[in-house]
Amino acid sequence: MTAEPVYEIDGCDTLPKLFLKKSRERGARTAMREKDFGIWQSYSWDDYREYASRVAFGLLSYGLRRGDVVSILSEDCKEWLFADVGAQLAGGVVNGIYPTYQSGQVEYTLTDSNCRFLFVEDEEQLDKYLEVAPALPGVERVVVFDWKGLRGFEHPKVVAFETFLDEGSAYGEGRDEQLDAIVAEGSRDDLGILIYTSGTTGRPKGAMLSQRYILGQMQLAPDYIRMTGSDEILTYLPLCHVAERIFSGWLPIKQGATINFAESPETVAKDLQELSPTYMFAVPRVWEKFYSRITTAMAEATWIGRKAYALALRAGGRRADRLLAGAQPTIADELLYRVADWCVFRNVKKLLGLDRAHSLASGAAPISESLLRWYLALGLTVDELYGQTETGVVTTTRKGVFRQGTVGPVIPPAELRIDDNGEILIRSPYQFDGYLNLPQKTAETIVDGWIHTGDVGELDEEGNLTITDRLKDIIITAGGKNITPSLIENELKFSPYIADAVVIGDRRKYLTCLVMIDQENVEHYAQTHAIPFTDYKSLCARREIVALIDEQVAAVNSGFSQVERIKQFRLIDVLLTAEDDELTPTMKLKRSFINEKYSTLIESMYGGQQ
Amino acid sequence: MSAPLLELRNVETFYGPIMAIRGVSLVVEEGEIVTVLGANGAGKTTLLKTASGALDSRKGKVLFDGREIQCRDPDWVARQGIAHVPEGREVFPFLTVAENLAMGAYNRRDAAAVAADLDTVYRYFPLLERQRGKMAGYLSGGQQQMLAIGRGFMARPRLLLLDEPSLGLSPALVGEIFDIITRLNEEQGLTILLVEQNANVALRVSERGYVMEVGGMVMDGSSDELLASDDVKEFYLGKKDEGVRGRRRWKKRKTWR
Repeated sequence: MTAEPVYEIDGCDTLPKLFLKKSRERGARTAMREKDFGIWQSYSWDDYREYASRVAFGLLSYGLRRGDVVSILSEDCKEWLFADVGAQLAGGVVNGIYPTYQSGQVEYTLTDSNCRFLFVEDEEQLDKYLEVAPALPGVERVVVFDWKGLRGFEHPKVVAFETFLDEGSAYGEGRDEQLDAIVAEGSRDDLGILIYTSGTTGRPKGAMLSQRYILGQMQLAPDYIRMTGSDEILTYLPLCHVAERIFSGWLPIKQGATINFAESPETVAKDLQELSPTYMFAVPRVWEKFYSRITTAMAEATWIGRKAYALALRAGGRRADRLLAGAQPTIADELLYRVADWCVFRNVKKLLGLDRAHSLASGAAPISESLLRWYLALGLTVDELYGQTETGVVTTTRKGVFRQGTVGPVIPPAELRIDDNGEILIRSPYQFDGYLNLPQKTAETIVDGWIHTGDVGELDEEGNLTITDRLKDIIITAGGKNITPSLIENELKFSPYIADAVVIGDRRKYLTCLVMIDQENVEHYAQTHAIPFTDYKSLCARREIVALIDEQVAAVNSGFSQVERIKQFRLIDVLLTAEDDELTPTMKLKRSFINEKYSTLIESMYGGQQ
Repeated sequence: MSAPLLELRNVETFYGPIMAIRGVSLVVEEGEIVTVLGANGAGKTTLLKTASGALDSRKGKVLFDGREIQCRDPDWVARQGIAHVPEGREVFPFLTVAENLAMGAYNRRDAAAVAADLDTVYRYFPLLERQRGKMAGYLSGGQQQMLAIGRGFMARPRLLLLDEPSLGLSPALVGEIFDIITRLNEEQGLTILLVEQNANVALRVSERGYVMEVGGMVMDGSSDELLASDDVKEFYLGKKDEGVRGRRRWKKRKTWR
């Protein structure tokens, strides 16, 4: 085996070391902004370090030892990162828990990770802990970020963040060197964080990510992930997901970019418009939403507006097609695009809050090619990143290189190969250390040092990776045809009226699908077409809406071969929220769960009784 | 199948630039009592005012007995057989009880039938008969509510729109008024569209109900279904699970299913 490359950034081999060094260098520069009563408040790198140190001292005063697990159950907020970095400074391992988890799931991850200290956002999240507190004797202290509504509440283990910070300050008096020593003792092989993968089947698994992993991901900027020190970023995806942790936690520490917390998950569109970030990472669902918004807004525009948009899109599309074909756009194309941009796209970008963005990236799920082409027509290149919690980001598309459908070549020193049954295997010095308490599962995933991703893909002659689908999701029809459902699903999701879809057909005669409609756009459609409805269920039951989706499905079908066409579909007539088991915390439908839960509905598409 | 007595289809009503109801559809069949629940500002009153013609909708249709009646003058709508009992009673304070009731029958020419209906009102509300010569402004809130309903009934409508009849009344009075609402429906065959915040009483007298929120419908179903829904229980009936600490302050996310 070749010698492992040394993972060091500015002489630091762990996040805590780098954080102390960089935050001291940056001093009064703004590290983050968060809204308080609707007004943006800034926090400098000195503030960041100050708070994180107080958190570290607070945890040390409670007796935290190296390797102890500290969990955070909260929506994104500045305290989340203070606790995250603070716990790591003190030598702890951080486990972020999705705020949409119910108490049973919270109990599971807290028990499985052997958590000693827990941070919760507010009384709502605290109640989840309290419901299962008797079953969690190992949790010694619970710190509540926001004490609102808890006046007079007393519990031997529960303490307010303010009080906790004061205790930390008192304990830290004159102990600065001790903390520096603890940080200095840390090594790159220490466990840094745990990420529980949402797991579409069975219990979530706790992936162990070391400091080496964290440093390895930090190395990606600015060459592979083009984030720089002057960038403004919006933080809005859950920080317990590895993607947002990379983009809002780790890369800003390395690069010095400023993060801005979205006010709430519901206000992301407004926050984005207001902030207009210069670097933007989003999951495909968000990119789809932007597109739908513009499409529906344009359908309502005046005749001139619609005409101008169509013309502009044609001009931009021509330029995009040339770029995608690997050619230089002609001068005429370029000129027409410039005019289109100045007249139309400029405003579209402003509306979305993407007018200042120099780089956009998509990842965490497959994205439709038609969607990427639309962005390119607008003059926006969306880089695709590929990776998993277990591997980190391992491939990315390169600037100025357009290869439709690929997620780009592997980023060294990671290595990538395709095994005999098409599965993508990845090996890198910074990959994850295995699943907590699951040696069996770990051994199944890491074989001879290679991570079995469970994804199927192909490499072209230039080394660009194309992802086909999840290995276990590939459909083999009764006729013996292999079909990749995600390809079809992505095209379906490209319709502004379809939020998500699950294609079914394994060992069946033909393909069918379950559709989750985009509530906002379909309601809007019903309203403009005078289709009466009352609630979500009645909307899904309307003949006209079923016909509308039928049109969308037919349009997608026309791009596929006979066996890949959807013969029947049904609408899921329950409005699902992130709290429901059917959805992942990132609002994707869970295939296996859907298959089970809606089995009668599925059977009805194959001639069964509903 | 005959057309429903009242039907709203995708109605949008604005106050200036502000959309107060955004695409509301609803059906009231002949002979029913239908409840619309909703918090303050949900658009319930706007909905009734749009139905009775007091407000014009910008989009959508209001069908009464299969005929379009949206954007017509309220007096024309009233002549078609819709009586609106507005929020906060709105009796004519300087007219006597009897004059107020006579105002309800303003459009009617059949003196004998009017007299008979007046007797009916007095039968339902004996209190009003005793106070018939008193100025309406001097009546108590409960009496004014009775008067407003009586005035609505005097038009002999096919459909009565009732806007929060329980507003500001004692529980005993609320019970009394809802008893009479039920009797008007059963004995006089009056179809009633009822807007309420008091879900408990309203759903008990009605067959079906709708829930409105920020200008749109979020749920519909039989009254029993609504009474059994967790969200209706928590947000309209005040029955919430107190949680582990016994004083839960945060609100659950509503799903309306």
